[in-house]
Amino acid sequence: MKRRKQRILMAKAMGVILTVMTFLILYVPILLILMLSLNDSARGYQWEGFTLKWYAMLFLDDIMKDPIVNTISIAILSTIISTILGTIFAIGIHALEKKRRVRMMVMNNVPVVNPDIVTGISLMIIFSILSFTLGFSTVLIAHVFFSIPYVILNIIPKLKRLDPNLYEAGLDLGCSRIEAVWRVIIPNISTGILTGALMAFTMSIDDFVITYFTSGNEYMNVSTWLYAALAREGRNSFTPVAYAYNTIIFLLTIIIIVFVNTRKERKVRTHEKSTSFTP
Amino acid sequence: MKRLRFFSVPYLAWMLIFIAVPTLILIMLAFSDYSLYYPSRFEITWVNFQIFSQSYMSKAIIYSFGLSIITTLICFVIGYPVAYYLANLPEKTRKIWLALLIVPLWANMLLRIFAWEKIFTPLSIFTDLSGLSLDLLGTNTGIVIGMVGMYLPFMIFPLFSVLERMDYSLVEAAKDLGATDLNVFFKVIFPMSLGGIVSGVIMTMLPAMTSFVLPARIGLGRINLIGNIIESKFMKEVMGSGGLSINVGSLISLMLMLFSVISFVIITRFDKEGETLI
Repeated sequence: MKRRKQRILMAKAMGVILTVMTFLILYVPILLILMLSLNDSARGYQWEGFTLKWYAMLFLDDIMKDPIVNTISIAILSTIISTILGTIFAIGIHALEKKRRVRMMVMNNVPVVNPDIVTGISLMIIFSILSFTLGFSTVLIAHVFFSIPYVILNIIPKLKRLDPNLYEAGLDLGCSRIEAVWRVIIPNISTGILTGALMAFTMSIDDFVITYFTSGNEYMNVSTWLYAALAREGRNSFTPVAYAYNTIIFLLTIIIIVFVNTRKERKVRTHEKSTSFTP
Repeated sequence: MKRLRFFSVPYLAWMLIFIAVPTLILIMLAFSDYSLYYPSRFEITWVNFQIFSQSYMSKAIIYSFGLSIITTLICFVIGYPVAYYLANLPEKTRKIWLALLIVPLWANMLLRIFAWEKIFTPLSIFTDLSGLSLDLLGTNTGIVIGMVGMYLPFMIFPLFSVLERMDYSLVEAAKDLGATDLNVFFKVIFPMSLGGIVSGVIMTMLPAMTSFVLPARIGLGRINLIGNIIESKFMKEVMGSGGLSINVGSLISLMLMLFSVISFVIITRFDKEGETLI
C-alpha cells in the first residue's frame, strides 16, 4: 500500500514537471517577443534598455501600414463571410440523413487535416486555371475556404444537442422556413457560431502559408511581409515594429476571447437558473 | 428539419471546386509536361519522376520523416501525461489551463520561429535575459525543439478532449476487479483514448513533416525538408528544371497529399465526424 502511494505521488510529480515544461516551451518564445518589442535596439541582438518607441512607430509611422491594414481587413471580412456561410452549410449538413452527413463531414475535414502547404498550392493552381489575378480577392477566398470547415466543426455539436421538434414547432406556429431557422435554430446554436467565428478570426490573422501561395507578388499580409523582410538579409528591412504589432494583436485577442467567454458563461449560468425548476 | 437539406448543396459544389478540381489538375501536372502558363503543350511523361533520383530530394524525404517522427514521439511522451494531468484537474482550473495552452498559438508563427532563432544563437538577447547560451542553429536538435514548441498543443488538445470525456467509473470498476495500476492504464485508459492519440499524432506529424519556414530559418537552409523543395519549385525556380519545376512541385505535393489521405482514412476510422479535430 505504501509503495502504491509512492507510485501515485511520483506519477503526479511527473505530470506537474511535464506540464511546467510544456508551458515553458510554449511561453519562452512569446516572452522573448514581448521583450524584443520593448528593447531599445533595431537589430535585437542584445538587450539595450527599455523603450516604447516601437509602439509609437507602429501608430505614427507608415512602415508596416499596408500589411497591417491588409491583414486586419482580410481577417474581418473572411470571418464574417465564413461564419455566415459556415452556419448555413452546417444547418444543411446536420439535416442530411446519417450516411450523407458523415460523408459531408469527411469532406469538410479534408482542409483541416491537409497540410497548409498542400491547401495553399491547390488554391494557387485553381486560381491560375481560372486566371484570377493573385491579390486581395484570392487571399480573401482562400481564407474563407480554410475557415469554413472550422466554423462547421464548432456548430455541428450544438446542432446535435438541439431538439429537432423545436424547428417543426416553429413551422407549425406559422414561421416560414427561413424565419424558423432565424428565430429557432440560430439562437440555440449561437455559442457554436461565436466560437467558430473567433477561431476563424484567429486563424486568418496569423496565417502565413496559405496567404504566401495565394497572394502573388504585390499583396502582402503581416506574415508574408515578415517572411520577405527576414529573407532579405543584406538590406534588411525588418523592424522591431513587428514585435510591437504582434504584442498588441496578441493582447487584443486575449481580451476579446476572455470577454466573450465570461459573457458566455454568465449566459449559461442564468440559463441554467431559469430552467432549473424543471425536475 | 429535412427541408433544410438543400443548404448543404452549395457547400458540396464549393468543395468540389476547391478540393477535387485542383487535385485533378495536380495529377495532370505531375504526370505530364503541361504548363499552367503556356497551356498549349500536353504530353504524358514520367520525366518529373527524375526528381526522386536526386540526392537532395531523397535527403529531404528522409529528414522530413525522421525529424517529424522524432518530434511526434517527443510531443506524445510529453503530451499524454500533460493531457491526463490537465483532464483530471477540477473543472474550473482545468478550463483556465487549457486556455493557457491555446494562447501562445495566437502569436504570429513567423515571429515565434524568429524568437527560437534568437534563443538558439549563442550570444543573443536571450543570453542577456536568461543567462543561457545555446548554439543550436543549423542543427537537427534545434529544429526538433522548435517543432515541439510549435506543434505540442496540437498533440495535447485531442488527447485532452478524449481523456476529459472518458468514463472514469470504468477505471474504478477495473480497480475494484483487482487490476493493477499498469493494467488499468494499458487495458482501460489507453484503448479508450486511442481516437485522441490517432488525431494527435496526425495533427502533429503532418504539419511538422510539411513545415518549410521553420527548417529554413532554424536550419539556416542547411537542412531542407519536403516543404522547402515544394516552396522552391513553386515560388523560386518557376522556370527551372527545364521549365517543368511546377510539374515537379506538383508531383511532390501529390506525394504529400497521399500521406494526408492515408492519415485521413485512419482518422475517419476512429472519429467519423471529426469531433477530436478542434
